[in-house]
Amino acid sequence: MKSLDPRVQRLPEELPPLQPKAPLDQFGSFEVFVQPKEGKPFQHEGIVHAPSLELAFVLAKEAFTRRFTCTSLYVTDTRNVMVSPTTEGNQNAYDLIPSVTEHQGGEPFEVYHLMKRGKQHLHAGTVEANSHEEAFSKAKAAFGSKQVFNVWVVRRSDIRFTRPEEQDLWLTLPEKKFRDASDYKGGDKLKEFLERQSSKS
Amino acid sequence: MYGGGNTFEGIKTDSLAQEDPQKLAAFEARIARGEKIEPTDWMPQLYRKQLIRMIEQHAHSEIIGALPEGTWITRAPGFKRKMALMAKVQDEVGHAQLLYSAAETLGKSREEMINDLISGRSKYSNVFNYPTFTWADCCFISWLVDAGAIVNQLANAKGSYGPYCRALDRICAEESFHLKYGHHCVIYLASGTPHQREMFQEALNRWWTPMMHFFGPSDKISAHTEILMRWKVKMGTNDEMRNQFLDMYVPKIWELGFTIPDPALKKDPATGKWAYTEPDWEEFKRVINGDGPCNKERLAVRRVAEERGRWVREALKSPKMNYVTPLA
Repeated sequence: MKSLDPRVQRLPEELPPLQPKAPLDQFGSFEVFVQPKEGKPFQHEGIVHAPSLELAFVLAKEAFTRRFTCTSLYVTDTRNVMVSPTTEGNQNAYDLIPSVTEHQGGEPFEVYHLMKRGKQHLHAGTVEANSHEEAFSKAKAAFGSKQVFNVWVVRRSDIRFTRPEEQDLWLTLPEKKFRDASDYKGGDKLKEFLERQSSKS
Repeated sequence: MYGGGNTFEGIKTDSLAQEDPQKLAAFEARIARGEKIEPTDWMPQLYRKQLIRMIEQHAHSEIIGALPEGTWITRAPGFKRKMALMAKVQDEVGHAQLLYSAAETLGKSREEMINDLISGRSKYSNVFNYPTFTWADCCFISWLVDAGAIVNQLANAKGSYGPYCRALDRICAEESFHLKYGHHCVIYLASGTPHQREMFQEALNRWWTPMMHFFGPSDKISAHTEILMRWKVKMGTNDEMRNQFLDMYVPKIWELGFTIPDPALKKDPATGKWAYTEPDWEEFKRVINGDGPCNKERLAVRRVAEERGRWVREALKSPKMNYVTPLA
């Protein structure tokens, strides 16, 4: 194969046989949450595929905070997110969540709301519960007066948070001005060129 | 970067008759109210299939689109251009990640999408089947192909499917650097030596036809197109997108003193529409069907990369893992 691309020049003479990807070749799914600024709630940003929670954290940092800096991010396995039904119009998603017998104490669960269809889920608060069902029920009591379209709950111990000593992960970004549109001001050069052209003619 | 408003191989509308009329009416009413559709909502099969196809082709275009520019990283003139191009190519691959995730929420796994890309079952933007002979070709892509992509992406970001819109909002924000960087590169070529100007003029001559192809042929306004526009899957006709691109960028190309290789290119001030010579649509079809200058090498590079990475992915696989559809 003749090409201008050096990578193509390095390809083997014969291509390897076409082997379809097996299921899970791209690993499991992990949900990514980002805190854009200090004091703002964490919001759902998207997903990554990774072989483990730890690698999901590293890939999430690269995929979602490579260009726009943030104060913190965390990830959790998609299987650990319990999801309520999604509603529309004036129906509150909390109205579809059954109340269960609640017990004292338990461990912390994080609660997220979809406040507007099309937007990201936002962190609403924390409840202490002994199961996901109880966490939903307690979230309903704590936040159910708000109109929301969907609710997620995640056990805190299932989340890989940014550790305090990792906060410097984003410190390199301010040096990367070359990734900003504002670093490519061609106006002066263009003006000078146009003036040169008009003086010629 | 994105592969144009043209979604290849449209789907027939015959499935609509099988949909539950009440659910369909509620779905359409929601879109008419301007609300977004989320992955767990009921949706017609046609909507799901068309979106998967569209988002998947978009994702493939990002991955493949990184190749013609990526090859210039080592040869970009100067350290700053190398860093910028590297960051841009990294962004494009990142965009593919976001888009594959959005398509996955509709039920097609990432493995299936990549299988379909490598085996040639799934398409990507035609424009990336052309070679970048010189640095000026690379600059053409960074500025004008990205500009065309942004026209499409800004329109699609107002579409109805929540996860796709969220991915596009992020992508558009990142693309603003690509566009400014590309324009900056071209201004430097334009105001440089006669040889630099000539180099860009030659690139423009080579790329104009693929650029016009980029938006796809004129839509046949069929029942199918009307439904997709009503459902806010397709946000404008291919001609509207092409016209918007010409309107925004032809004056900027002319400002730099370059000649666009189409003597018929002219704006009608009364209608605001651009007249142009129809590009060779036979060539477009030929390239889509695999007979372009670079189709084979683009897929070969992807295929070998997949093969070479396979052992790493297998080594990392854990028995505890289980595929689940992403949430949003």
